[in-house]
Amino acid sequence: MGTYALRRVIQMIPLLFVISLLIFMLTALQPGDPVDQLVFGNSNITSEDIARLKAAYGLDQAWYTRYFFWLKQALTGNFGYSQDFGIPAWDFVFQQRLPNTLLLTVPALVISTLIAVPLGIFSAVRQYSALDYVLTFFAFVAVSAPVFWVGALALYFFAVFLPQATGGMVSLPPGGLGSPELPADANWWVVVLDKLKYLLLPLMILMLREIAVTLRFMRANMLETLTQDYVRTARAKGLADRRVLYKHALRNAVTPIVTLLGLSIPGLFGGAVITETVFSWPGMGKAILDALVSKDFNVVMVCLMMLALLTVVFQLLTDLAYGLVDPRIRYS
Amino acid sequence: MKKTLALTAFLLGAALAGPANNSLVIGTSQEPPNIYDPWNTNNLAVTSEINGYMTASLIGLDDDGEPYADIATRVPSIANGDYKIVKNAAGDVVRNSVTYTIRKDAKWSDGTPIKVADFQFWLRLVNDDRVPVPDRSPWNRAKITVADNDTFTITYEPPYLFADQTSPSLAPSHVMGAAWNAFDAKTKNEKDAKVINEEWKKFISAYTTARNLPKVVAGPFRPTGWRSGNSLTMTRNPNYWGHPKDQDKYVQTVTYRFIPNTNTLKVNILSGQLDAVSAVGLTFDQGVDLARNERGKYKTYFVPGAVWEHIDVNTRGQKAKDLDMDDPRMRQALLYSIDRDALVKALFQGRQAVSNSWVNPISKLYKKDVNDYNYNPARAKQLFAALGWTPGPDGILQKGGKKLSLNFSTTAGNTVRERVQQILQAQWKQVGVQVNIQNYPSSVIFGPDFLSKGQEGKWDLAMYAWTGNPIFEEGNLFKGEGIPTAANGYSGQNNPGWNNAEFNKLHKQAQVEFNLADRIKLFDRMQAIWNSEVPSLPLYYRVNVYTKVPGLVNYTFSAYTLYPSWNSAKIGWASRGAVEEYKQK
Repeated sequence: MGTYALRRVIQMIPLLFVISLLIFMLTALQPGDPVDQLVFGNSNITSEDIARLKAAYGLDQAWYTRYFFWLKQALTGNFGYSQDFGIPAWDFVFQQRLPNTLLLTVPALVISTLIAVPLGIFSAVRQYSALDYVLTFFAFVAVSAPVFWVGALALYFFAVFLPQATGGMVSLPPGGLGSPELPADANWWVVVLDKLKYLLLPLMILMLREIAVTLRFMRANMLETLTQDYVRTARAKGLADRRVLYKHALRNAVTPIVTLLGLSIPGLFGGAVITETVFSWPGMGKAILDALVSKDFNVVMVCLMMLALLTVVFQLLTDLAYGLVDPRIRYS
Repeated sequence: MKKTLALTAFLLGAALAGPANNSLVIGTSQEPPNIYDPWNTNNLAVTSEINGYMTASLIGLDDDGEPYADIATRVPSIANGDYKIVKNAAGDVVRNSVTYTIRKDAKWSDGTPIKVADFQFWLRLVNDDRVPVPDRSPWNRAKITVADNDTFTITYEPPYLFADQTSPSLAPSHVMGAAWNAFDAKTKNEKDAKVINEEWKKFISAYTTARNLPKVVAGPFRPTGWRSGNSLTMTRNPNYWGHPKDQDKYVQTVTYRFIPNTNTLKVNILSGQLDAVSAVGLTFDQGVDLARNERGKYKTYFVPGAVWEHIDVNTRGQKAKDLDMDDPRMRQALLYSIDRDALVKALFQGRQAVSNSWVNPISKLYKKDVNDYNYNPARAKQLFAALGWTPGPDGILQKGGKKLSLNFSTTAGNTVRERVQQILQAQWKQVGVQVNIQNYPSSVIFGPDFLSKGQEGKWDLAMYAWTGNPIFEEGNLFKGEGIPTAANGYSGQNNPGWNNAEFNKLHKQAQVEFNLADRIKLFDRMQAIWNSEVPSLPLYYRVNVYTKVPGLVNYTFSAYTLYPSWNSAKIGWASRGAVEEYKQK
């Protein structure tokens, strides 16, 4: 397995170079650049000003020249400055945006998995029961309802309707990362509670969908496993239902969940664009979207390269994890 | 006890803004890239608005467009001798100059007196090639002559038309000077512009970002906290000289909350989390919706703005000639065919008035009595017929085997513009003009290969907006020299490609006409020519929508001031004793 892993790691290096080249090329070939946006709406700007600005930002050079400049710097650990935020792109992503995203997405994934897996098993084992219908209906609605719509409804309900109905006794903040008016010398527990208050709604909305997806997946896997020959054999041998279910069927039914989770992890770092947008949660998804729109090239490169790296790394870890959960898979 | 109550209120979700602690919470849909960059290397409106709280200037303009003295001891004028115009023997103005005296109590927020050196430092950098200032006009022709530590004269040669209505900015040389010298030494012989730009970013970001808040400022408020992606807080600057009497009665803390999604911003208003909304925030539709649900909790304002919506008619290239777009009668006919009054009534409740000129209606240069092109399909049909266009079997006008079929483009995703497009498309169809909607992302529309390359026939009609500043109007949008061509590197804003010799001549005269009454006459004629030829189809001046809660005073703006922060020192709560000096018009 060690040789296999090493080979895969070595293969990643040229792959990441190719990905960086493609991302840079696609980003640079979009119409317009940051100077166009400065120019438009400013009737005083002259052609000399435009030429001066394009030269200053290096936009007068061919995209491949700019790529090699970026690559040379990136290999020394310098990922350039964010055009929009005036700080190093690396710091912007890893200090200002990524922690917010992880704060939202990690609990969402962990809690929803912990809730959805048992519910999925239960739903499969009690197929066609009343609870199965309820859970299936819930999963169907939660997967189908657009996040921006559910999010907007939740915002209105918890931030406008409930406070009015309860005279302000029950309310949740309508978006944001925390109370800006919180005193600088507030106790740590006040800060944590304040953060939780803001986190609750986006977390609920994100979890709703995660639970629904994982529940459906788990239910389908479990149902398929329960119809396998070895499960029937185990039952025929007179093993107790509980033992057949948890000892034999569950382990095989859970294997695909490892794939699902493994491939979800880069997504955790990429953020949940719509949820972050609806709830004004300054995370990675919003940052990537904004950087692409405003042509903040250095931020785009840091974000997308990080996602590319995470995807290939977690792909490898997922493959290796197969060997652990499924004894039939061997990499030797 | 008070603190415990405050914390409890937080945990229960109640906002602590408003009169309770004499603070102000404002919502906006944008976060500035940086703040208090004295050279404004980004041109976002929200940056200008937020900077208004921290900035002081020699002179400013109030909501009525009247100048007032801030750092300067008085407003310069020809009458008081501070503004001078120098003419040559032929009577042409060759230069003009303005003298300013800095008031004795003008200080930076760290208590250091504001001196002439701060204006000199700013002017030197604004003209330095290493500083990526968007444009340098009029500072690239300005020189400062020092009389003493507090008095200086700025001379513009060639002269600057609006020298008495603007003033040079300033930067804290005692704070930034050493870092600038280090930057200067490091990049003096550097040839690679990208390396210089990286060094510039390092220099400026040490003073302007969320991680490095401005060290000192000159205005009524100073920044005290910036949580990137969430909020920016500013508190009253004790060293600002222009605070109102009894300044404790006015707002002490201003917090901007960054809420990028405007629907979420709307929910924040409805839930009472915000005291006011920035001029950069709500859409018109959201304003209308909010106005219906006020219930006394807040009031919605629609402020006539400086942004002019119009449709450029492409007069360049063979296709434009084949379709007679280069003939004024065709453009007049297109304008007569649409009912703009009905459109603004239907879409904007009549709150955005139809415009007939590119000049802002509140400008002294605006000509009121031009042809209003009221909806007149009969007149339109006459004009089409005079050009030889007759209805075909399908009702579409045709001439020489060609149909009058036009591509109509605007910024995709702008729902207001898309709705306007649909209404206009239907109205043009009534008179036999086929309009095909072809929208593109704004990066394409405003990119290098679309509007400016009209001769390639990429568009026939293009709807977008320009800012028509009521003070600094020079008529540059439609000058012949402003037609983007390969020869001028596709710069210039005359995208329709309209070129009128008389207009060009008058424009040149107006640029050096320092007498306002005479400039008004020149602009009268320029607008009459423009209106008769209609190179663009004028639509309306946009309004800016915002809300504020009752009792918040002096939070006002106009197309002159652009942002409510222009008068930040006097923003306050009536219930705390703040005196209302300006009412929102």
